[in-house]
Amino acid sequence: MRLLLAEDDQELGTRLKRFLDRQGFAVDLFDNGVDASFYGSETPYDVIVLDLGLPRRSGLDVLDDWRRGGIKTPVLILTARDTWQEKVQGLQKGADDYLTKPFHEEELLARLLALIRRNTQTVGEHLSANGWVLDEETQSVSNAGQSWSLTGIEFRLLRYFMLHPGHILSKSRLTEHVYEQDADKDSNVIEVYVNRLRQKLGNDVITTRRGQGYVFGDGH
Amino acid sequence: MTSLRARLGLSLMLSLVATIGLLLLIAGVSVHRVMENQMATRLAHDGDTLLGGLTFHAGGHVALDARRIQGIYLQPFSGHYFLIDVDGQLIRSRSLWDESLSLPEVAVGEVSIRHVSGPERQPLLLWSSSFRKQGRLVKVAVAEDLYGLQAGVRRLWWQLLGWSLLMVAVVLLIQRFIIARSLRPVADAVDDVVRLEQGEASALREDVPQEVLPLVQEINRLLHRQQQRLLRSREAMGNMAHAIKTPLTLLQQLAAEKVRAGDKTTYEQLAHYIRKINELVDTSLRRARIAGDSLGSSRFDLRQDLPVLVDTIRRLHRDKGIDFEQQLQRVDTLPLEQQDGMELLGNLLDNAWKWADSRVRLSVDGDAGPLLVIEDDGPGVDEEGLQQLARRGVRHDENTHGHGIGLSIVKSLVEALGGCIEFGRSPGLGGLRVKVYCRCPEASNGVSQ
Repeated sequence: MRLLLAEDDQELGTRLKRFLDRQGFAVDLFDNGVDASFYGSETPYDVIVLDLGLPRRSGLDVLDDWRRGGIKTPVLILTARDTWQEKVQGLQKGADDYLTKPFHEEELLARLLALIRRNTQTVGEHLSANGWVLDEETQSVSNAGQSWSLTGIEFRLLRYFMLHPGHILSKSRLTEHVYEQDADKDSNVIEVYVNRLRQKLGNDVITTRRGQGYVFGDGH
Repeated sequence: MTSLRARLGLSLMLSLVATIGLLLLIAGVSVHRVMENQMATRLAHDGDTLLGGLTFHAGGHVALDARRIQGIYLQPFSGHYFLIDVDGQLIRSRSLWDESLSLPEVAVGEVSIRHVSGPERQPLLLWSSSFRKQGRLVKVAVAEDLYGLQAGVRRLWWQLLGWSLLMVAVVLLIQRFIIARSLRPVADAVDDVVRLEQGEASALREDVPQEVLPLVQEINRLLHRQQQRLLRSREAMGNMAHAIKTPLTLLQQLAAEKVRAGDKTTYEQLAHYIRKINELVDTSLRRARIAGDSLGSSRFDLRQDLPVLVDTIRRLHRDKGIDFEQQLQRVDTLPLEQQDGMELLGNLLDNAWKWADSRVRLSVDGDAGPLLVIEDDGPGVDEEGLQQLARRGVRHDENTHGHGIGLSIVKSLVEALGGCIEFGRSPGLGGLRVKVYCRCPEASNGVSQ
């Protein structure tokens, strides 16, 4: 899950990035509106956390840039500004949720997961696909009463697969959604992790489409 | 308070009446004088003719040539008379009948013109003079009745007065029309002020007469300054919220990270204080943002602002499929500044959404009674909770972050509006019912069941 985090307070930004990294997100942190606007338009993020009081370009303007540019990525506004006027403005500009500071990290996470699920139209408390149930809190997956714990990258990769069951996902797309901006992106590494998931969960969990990519579950 | 229109009308009428009165007086006197002069000239001619008709016979006898006497002098009391005195011998016009005229003493060559009372008390203009003819002293007096002349002048004067009054009336009407026309921009400005109070205008129009323009401009300047101040203060409040809340977030997260696992009691205390600080900051900031009854600011528009607000609340509670009913009775705007209205309705509807099972109802009525009624079909609040709500605007069983502030800011807003808020149970939906009044109903203790 690629996540764009736009937060101008360095300390809070770093802390949130660390927290979200731990939760299996590939987080890119920007501390100003201009960079956030540019990278948000250029990179296929899965979800965005946007502060309104950004330097150089306000959060509302950045959101406007994205929505006008056809970027439909779900956006959660995270701000200290909590009047209804501001909430109305934010949501009318195209935000999907609004969380005011101070907030609990758990609440932020719950709202983000809800946004992602809503966006990929998955229902239920836990993400599930083809009989597999992903527990985001323990970063483990279960099927028919048996449970497997996952490493960070395995969790990210499997979550992306489970959010898009039956879709053909190319190696480069998987790379983009599993790794953050500055990570050393080698698409061959995806192959390694897919194989690790197959070793853990069984070969038929992910099928390979030659020259196209991978499919979680039965592609037909 | 005096009316400009009445004052202008009265002063114009007084000055017109004074001017016309003076003119009438002068006209009356002048016409009278001119006609009297003409009469005197005619009398002098008649006197000359009579003098020319005198013949002196031997033995001192004097005769008047009858051909020189006009018929009017022969008719009794005709109003035309003469009297000639030649050394005590009197020749009298027949019109005098047995009456006589008093002959004033006039030196030879002098002329006297005076008013005297004649036969049958006729007011007469008497012309008299003395001559020396053929060595004898001749006094001639000719008189004419002034009654006809005076009546003519009086008639003329009454006619003039009639026309003048008509003119005064016409001028006053015209002036009334002109004043109404000239004061129309002022009336427009007054209308503007009303529109300003109702939030339909943000400034007064400046196409007013020069005399009123400085006033209108000053009001507009003040309004602008007030709006700017509100804008700046709201901006400052926003920045302040930003400045305080980010460190507060960090503090909360540090506590959660470092303290929660090791010392749960201390963590709970820390969390409590952080929540308290946050609520205090929120309440103060939100109160400071209330515009209250500020002139010239735009009002909350039920047709424009309410749909986006409801849409926003729906999006924020996407997982709740609430059936929202609204009943707006002949009302387009709330008597509240736009952001105040957002805050009031936002908090009330959000609260209803939070607690509702499936239905929320909003009724807005511009007439008597409550302005707003918001009802939900949630669990409602018991008697003790209602008392608590009325006192502090806090829902007694809410301990989720941020929930308590919503209704307390609603209380502050309603207080700023000078109104009242009433909490009770919705008879139709069964949950909480909140009534907002612009004017407090009598004997309201703020709570009703």
